[in-house]
Amino acid sequence: MMMTKKIMALLLCGSLTAGILAGCGGSGSEGQTAEAKPETEAAAEEAPAADEGAEEAAAEETAAEEPAAEESAAEAAPADGEDKILRLGWSKDIQTMDVHRTTDNYAVPLNIFDRLLEVKLNEDGSTELVNSIAKDYSISDDGLVYSFELRDDVKFCDGTPLTSADVEATFTRMFTLEDSVQTDFTTCIKGAQAILDGNADSLEGFRVIDDTHFEIELEEPFAGFLSVLATPTCCIFSKANLEEAGDDFGMVPAKTIGSGPYMVTDWKTNDSLTLVRNPYYWGEPASASEVHYKVYPEPSTFNMAFQNGEVDILDCDFLDSSIVTSTYETDAYKDKLIRVNRLGTYMISINAGIEPMSDVRVRKAIQMAVNRQGILDSIFGGHGELVDGIYPAGSIGFTAENQGWLQYDPEGAKALLKEAGYENGFDLEISANASGSSNIASIIQVVQQNLTDIGINAHIETYDESSWLAKRKSGEMPLFAGVWTLDYNDPSNIIDTFFGSAESTKGRSLNYADTDVMARVTSAKSIVDETERLKEYADLEKKIVEEDASWVPLFALQHTFVISDRIEHFTPHWAGYGDFNAYGVTMK
Amino acid sequence: MKAAVKRLVSMIPVLIGVMLLTFIMLRVVPGDPVSIMLGEHYSQAKIDRLTRAMNLDKPMWEQFVSYMLGAFRGDLGVSYMMNKPVTGLIAEAFPQTFRLALMAAAIAWAVGLIAGITAAVKQNKLPDHLFMGFSLAGVSVPIFMSALFLQYFFSYRLKILPLTSDGSAASLILPAIALGWNSAGSVARMTRSSLIETLQADYIDTARAKGLLRPAVIFGHALKNALLPVVTMMALQISSLMSGAVITESVFSVPGIGRLATQAIQNRDMPLLQGTILFTTILVILGNLAADLLYSVIDPRIGDE
Amino acid sequence: MTEKYKKQETRDELLSEIGDYDGLKEKIIRMYRNNRLAAFSAALIILMILLAVFAPYIAPYKEAHQDLLMRLQPPSRAHLFGTDELGRDVFSRILYGARVSLVIGIFPSMISLLIGIFFGLIAGYFGGWIDYVIMRVADVMLSFPSLLLAMALMYTLGRYANSVLCIFGALSLVGWASVSRVVRSVTLSLKETEYVDAARSIGVGRPKIMLRHILPNCIPSLIVLYTLNVPSCILSESTLSFLGIGVQPPAASWGLMVNQSKQYLFTMPWLALAPCLTIMIVVLAFNFLGDGLRDALDPYLKKG
Repeated sequence: MMMTKKIMALLLCGSLTAGILAGCGGSGSEGQTAEAKPETEAAAEEAPAADEGAEEAAAEETAAEEPAAEESAAEAAPADGEDKILRLGWSKDIQTMDVHRTTDNYAVPLNIFDRLLEVKLNEDGSTELVNSIAKDYSISDDGLVYSFELRDDVKFCDGTPLTSADVEATFTRMFTLEDSVQTDFTTCIKGAQAILDGNADSLEGFRVIDDTHFEIELEEPFAGFLSVLATPTCCIFSKANLEEAGDDFGMVPAKTIGSGPYMVTDWKTNDSLTLVRNPYYWGEPASASEVHYKVYPEPSTFNMAFQNGEVDILDCDFLDSSIVTSTYETDAYKDKLIRVNRLGTYMISINAGIEPMSDVRVRKAIQMAVNRQGILDSIFGGHGELVDGIYPAGSIGFTAENQGWLQYDPEGAKALLKEAGYENGFDLEISANASGSSNIASIIQVVQQNLTDIGINAHIETYDESSWLAKRKSGEMPLFAGVWTLDYNDPSNIIDTFFGSAESTKGRSLNYADTDVMARVTSAKSIVDETERLKEYADLEKKIVEEDASWVPLFALQHTFVISDRIEHFTPHWAGYGDFNAYGVTMK
Repeated sequence: MKAAVKRLVSMIPVLIGVMLLTFIMLRVVPGDPVSIMLGEHYSQAKIDRLTRAMNLDKPMWEQFVSYMLGAFRGDLGVSYMMNKPVTGLIAEAFPQTFRLALMAAAIAWAVGLIAGITAAVKQNKLPDHLFMGFSLAGVSVPIFMSALFLQYFFSYRLKILPLTSDGSAASLILPAIALGWNSAGSVARMTRSSLIETLQADYIDTARAKGLLRPAVIFGHALKNALLPVVTMMALQISSLMSGAVITESVFSVPGIGRLATQAIQNRDMPLLQGTILFTTILVILGNLAADLLYSVIDPRIGDE
Repeated sequence: MTEKYKKQETRDELLSEIGDYDGLKEKIIRMYRNNRLAAFSAALIILMILLAVFAPYIAPYKEAHQDLLMRLQPPSRAHLFGTDELGRDVFSRILYGARVSLVIGIFPSMISLLIGIFFGLIAGYFGGWIDYVIMRVADVMLSFPSLLLAMALMYTLGRYANSVLCIFGALSLVGWASVSRVVRSVTLSLKETEYVDAARSIGVGRPKIMLRHILPNCIPSLIVLYTLNVPSCILSESTLSFLGIGVQPPAASWGLMVNQSKQYLFTMPWLALAPCLTIMIVVLAFNFLGDGLRDALDPYLKKG
């Protein structure tokens, strides 16, 4: 027994010393590596991933030796033998790469898949639809049938060609997949509703003509359909890959095959994700040979990582505007700031179904009480534009005529309240989402102050995210702040979501009452004449926001990015998403 | 031996209790993870479809039975948010947390023992106050604060150590210090009081009377016994290290268990939260058991208490 | 008179047999003499509590008072600790935050103390399967890493009540197990003593025995446990709020203030420093006081 005791004691001491030594040794060697930080660190980190990528690429090359793939494969290898690694960060890991199963993890799909069409962001900030893997298309006169011709040189990253059958499989899966969340914009395709209702298992409106030709028929005309095709929703997958991968599609890098400029090679949960160039990409090879995403849960860490040169593009959405102002709006970073209009409207929703906000005068008073310019300047550093309606500045549907009518006027608001018989105010809950962004939280706190100033006894109630969503859905949320960023550049995207039907306005806790207006919103979509259609949308906007004061329109913002010295040029996503295609980045 | 068996047996109800409690704690609430998954785009039909697909429409007891059966097979369900099996996620994350906790424990023990012994030997003198102040500060400073400041000074200002975890041992030093300092405080306080008490014992007087020198008395006789209660602390440390890991992992971007738990809460990802809690708790129980066994090996006197 | 005197005498005799006896008050006074640090800490805590109670009178601004033109001002005479991202006075918010943080430190500890006493007494006194069940449940509670347990409870409670109440509930449920262990072990050692036997034999009811004869013996240990539980509750609250799953804005708590100001660590360090240091000082004070009380009151707890 005595022996054991001694041995144990020895072991204990031993392990302790070992621990101490390990600690010291580690710190010593660390000091040295860290000296030569930028390259060594990146290189060390990337080495395994790069190997893997190379291996895979090599394997594919042998598999598809004779076809013309050598050309693009050769191009994919950096000419100077030097890897250009683009290092990006995000605040939390993505959930999946399968766009049919997510509505917000678009970064990877944008990079690894192609869409039939793309939206191009011009230098002047305007956008246009351009062909992508669709070489050409035509629309029938009645606006119902869209005929497409695919490029014949599009290959997936496993070397197989992309054909009409892949497009068909993708669109069918959108509706047949049990937990698909991407049906909102595409149910207009003929036969889609039948699949969702369980009455069909193939998509009636999709007709394959040959490998490169197909047609899509709609239920009724929809002018925004081409824009929809350019959204991440309509990423094109590989039929063979979908069948083979099953539930692993979008979850396992090797089983997620796309035709985009990059392919995904490695994904460590909560840690990192690696993209490398797709050797079979049909276009010019991307500038960056690899893209490395890393998760930075703490914004301050993300910021420090950028300043330490460990990240190449800093998404300023993660930072408070005052930090952006004090740190990056300086001479040192003058040329490094990239700003893009975010096609999204911030708004304070007012629930017309709840007393006393069913009185339009009360709603108007709330509109006038909110110091919108103050919020824009203080919380967002003034980087945006006030919006007085529904459609964000810079989007299709936005008109100058509908702007400028709403002024900050607390005195006028008080008078209106008095007129409505609420001279002494009333109790009002502002509902906050605990997982919402800190900017929204700040907006809410200012709005609370603004409403208190005109005599409304407003208090903030915070809910966890799912309770918040549930309450909003139940139509009982009195007042809250939100933002809608366009999925596709068409007024129908935003106005339909909020005012398309009684169900929609209830689900958004707006409880907009005018059913005639809602019917007009729904039918506006099918107006074939473009001028007439946009006129109708402008009229609806005026009616809903200016006359009926359904919400307090706030502003559309700019999205600010800071780029590192290693980046020559960077084109963000056209709608100002934080997610973007790394193909738009040119490395030095 | 008898004690060990007894201890093992008493673990079983605790384990079952932990499972039951975790289950009840989280399932009593009719959560709606579906609306979170759908985010901005939803309709009732879609919500119903997803609810069915995820078995949430089954009665509670059925969900519970299938969860229990699954858990024994090592199947903890599928994370709503990550769309991956919880067991796999934990298996992927645990090595990170384990390495971090191990390094933190090493730091805690090294610093804590040295501080505790010095303080005890120099009781009520300057080193005592100095060391105990230092360790008490470790217990009192919120971990997030020490983590943020360590990161700011060593990684950002001085650029000596990596800012975030990249899998290397070096990148774990700062999080381990932040985590270890906190535990070092407890170890030091414990060592000090235990050693002071031992030094007052009769056999120490005897040893002194024999003419042994002070260091020989302290290291040869007193320390061995004084450390006994400190050993049991090892088990308690596992629990507090796991709690602390939640913070340090978030600040230093370590993809470990604590991060999974935080995410699970933020996204109301019930299976993931359940899994991480169950896992860490079992870890603590096993740690307790190990400490108990170790204790009875070192000190046979407490065999069959 | 004589009888009472006699009774007192026997009690003193009895006590002198057990060992030195000082009343609680004497012990605390002795601690005050010997351990100035603990005494100073106690004073600091009382001061902090007073500041929290009288925050509306002391604070120069209302906690939610915003001034968007005065965002992120450095410390000045008008704003002792500067202003935050909405132009609110940080000093005032720390005073108001003390209400949340101290309440969360002081009351849940008290609730878990009561729960712990209740179960500890019952387990120790009745023994048998009741003891077994209660102590296994306590084992289960103690097996959970406390922060994770609190997080899980926040998950469950989060949808029912406001965030401060949730933390309240969560922390109350986290701490009782260790209290009940201490109470149980004291109860076990006392229930076979002669004076308890005597009380039982003259027909004193169980509740009375437990509360009048056993519980008072636990008090020194409980005071120490309580004093040390308070800072851990304060830290838990600040940690939960730091992670964004604790107190929610616009309520002010120290943890939340750190959470909101951590991103200004580079540029406006005072914003994060003020609440951080406040947490640290208060927690240190409680810990010093707890240590002091432990030395003075309870030699048995020294090990734990």
